[in-house]
Amino acid sequence: MMAASERGAAATAGLIALLLILVPLAGLHLAGPVGLSVYAVNVVGQVMCFALLAMSVDLMWGGAGILSLGHGLFFALGGYIAAMHLLRTAFATTHVLPDFLQFMGQSAFPGYWHVFDSLPFTLAAILLIPGLIAFVFGFVSFRSRVNGVYFAIITQALTYTAMLLMFRNDTGFGGNNGMTGFHGIAGLPIGGANAAVLLTVLSTIAVLLTLIGGRVLLASRFGRMLAAIRDDEPRLRFLGYDTLWLKLAAWCLSAMVAAVAGALYVPQVGIINPSLLDPSVSLEIAVWVAVGGRGGFYGAIIGAVLVNMVKFWLSAAAPSLWPFVLSLLVLLVVLALPNGLTDLRNRSRSWMTDLGRGFREAGRGRPERGAG
Amino acid sequence: MSAARDTAVEVEGLVVTFGHFKAIDNLRFTAAYGEVRAVIGPNGAGKTTLLDVLTGRSPARAGRVTLDGTLDLTRMSEVQLALSGIGRKFQKPSVFEALTVWENLDLACRRHRRSLVREVFSAADARHTATITATLDRIGLGAQRNARGATLSHGQKQWLEIGMVLVQEPKVLLLDEPVAGMSDDETLQTAALVRSLRGPHRSIIVVEHDMDFVEQIADQVTVMHEGKTLFEGSMQSARTDHRVLDVYLGR
Repeated sequence: MMAASERGAAATAGLIALLLILVPLAGLHLAGPVGLSVYAVNVVGQVMCFALLAMSVDLMWGGAGILSLGHGLFFALGGYIAAMHLLRTAFATTHVLPDFLQFMGQSAFPGYWHVFDSLPFTLAAILLIPGLIAFVFGFVSFRSRVNGVYFAIITQALTYTAMLLMFRNDTGFGGNNGMTGFHGIAGLPIGGANAAVLLTVLSTIAVLLTLIGGRVLLASRFGRMLAAIRDDEPRLRFLGYDTLWLKLAAWCLSAMVAAVAGALYVPQVGIINPSLLDPSVSLEIAVWVAVGGRGGFYGAIIGAVLVNMVKFWLSAAAPSLWPFVLSLLVLLVVLALPNGLTDLRNRSRSWMTDLGRGFREAGRGRPERGAG
Repeated sequence: MSAARDTAVEVEGLVVTFGHFKAIDNLRFTAAYGEVRAVIGPNGAGKTTLLDVLTGRSPARAGRVTLDGTLDLTRMSEVQLALSGIGRKFQKPSVFEALTVWENLDLACRRHRRSLVREVFSAADARHTATITATLDRIGLGAQRNARGATLSHGQKQWLEIGMVLVQEPKVLLLDEPVAGMSDDETLQTAALVRSLRGPHRSIIVVEHDMDFVEQIADQVTVMHEGKTLFEGSMQSARTDHRVLDVYLGR
């Protein structure tokens, strides 16, 4: 079983690493049979961000058995912080105030925006602000021993609350319309081929590093403690482990990974608005993980990639069909593959061994019964 | 002989209520080091509730519960109680199914009891490896050391959980129905195991329904009924005590 998981992860990592060769070719304008078009590079980049987001949910769900239906919040937070930095750098070159600030009758950025001029500060904020919010929320929930479906429900409430807050224009982050009008990133014009390649390569590297780092983490003593929480949390507590801190550590780490995914995603789509905070977005992340298979991260990547490829294709071909296709996927997984596509692999293997045993027994003339 | 033994756990005037129901009503109970104390009684007598109080799962409404005469157990969390030397095997076998037998024991065998951060980043040392290996032999799961918890039989899970509690080197070992669901052979092996665990620095409290098993292992028997102590003494005398016969052994 372990070996199958290792092979699955290695194969996934190999395929993703291949993107690191294909994607930069587009930057060299070698699109066509070998490279990818700029549009395709952008799609790959976005899908990689979703894969990263799916892994952050899988760390909690597959790793510790804690389902979050609110990770869209951390994704959006990372995105909003990245957007603030991008708007400040855009202002530095264009000296035009973003639309939403003009609309609010402001003549300058509010004071606290200035700290986001600094890239190192922004990068730290992308990790620390979502991390801090996750810490406070997680501490209160885990200390009160809110578990299972109840925890999932309050994570939904949390992202919904954040959505209502961000919808208000007075909150100061663009309200309903969100923030857009980014100019460039690292000196490359946003929307151009080079920026797309850069962001896609960064997202792909982030996915690879998280896959490798995440698997090392799961195989560590900390990962075994998380597995123990998933299997029997009271037992672990009666062994003298204060599970609150273990869950909180995993939860904050997971929120930070989701925030990084959001920060990489927003410059690729060129806009952030509160729709990312809609509970349905967070639900969809759980669907990706459920479709791909929980635990070990590679299932989460496969699920995120497959579901989003279908979504990208359908949103062009037949946008109104998407909710039905998604529902069908959920039904399929719930009914036929309780642990997602990774089940397919285990199941086909057990069919194979059954078949093999059947042949051997047929060869001997009669089925053999083991002694034990 | 038993008079010279030091008291490990002392319970006095304990009351535990669930709503209007008094699960434990003014209970007096002691368990000494070096003995195996069996707690028996009909369903609903409050046996498991007593273990719940000792491990911080149920709060005491009133009364005193102490370890070594001084440590007040009623105000401590499950984690603090576990770290103070109270180990418990649950009624339903509770092992970590995704982890191997070795990993289960390794997690139970704490390396840094006082710091979770150091525990997370600790490396295995020779002493812990030796403890775990010895425990594997003791619970008879040496051959299954790399098997996942989920693949073990019911009896093996019970033994593994006993092993997990043992590697913590508890002062007080609580066993809640250790032979429930076991075959006769497994029950005999478990009885031998429990007898071998007796030691001068350990007090063993066993809640069990299987009277033959209790007779094999127990030095002292406490019979509980409706949250009170009905009888204390040897199993032989419990079998002939008319109050016990009336409420429990049932003629």
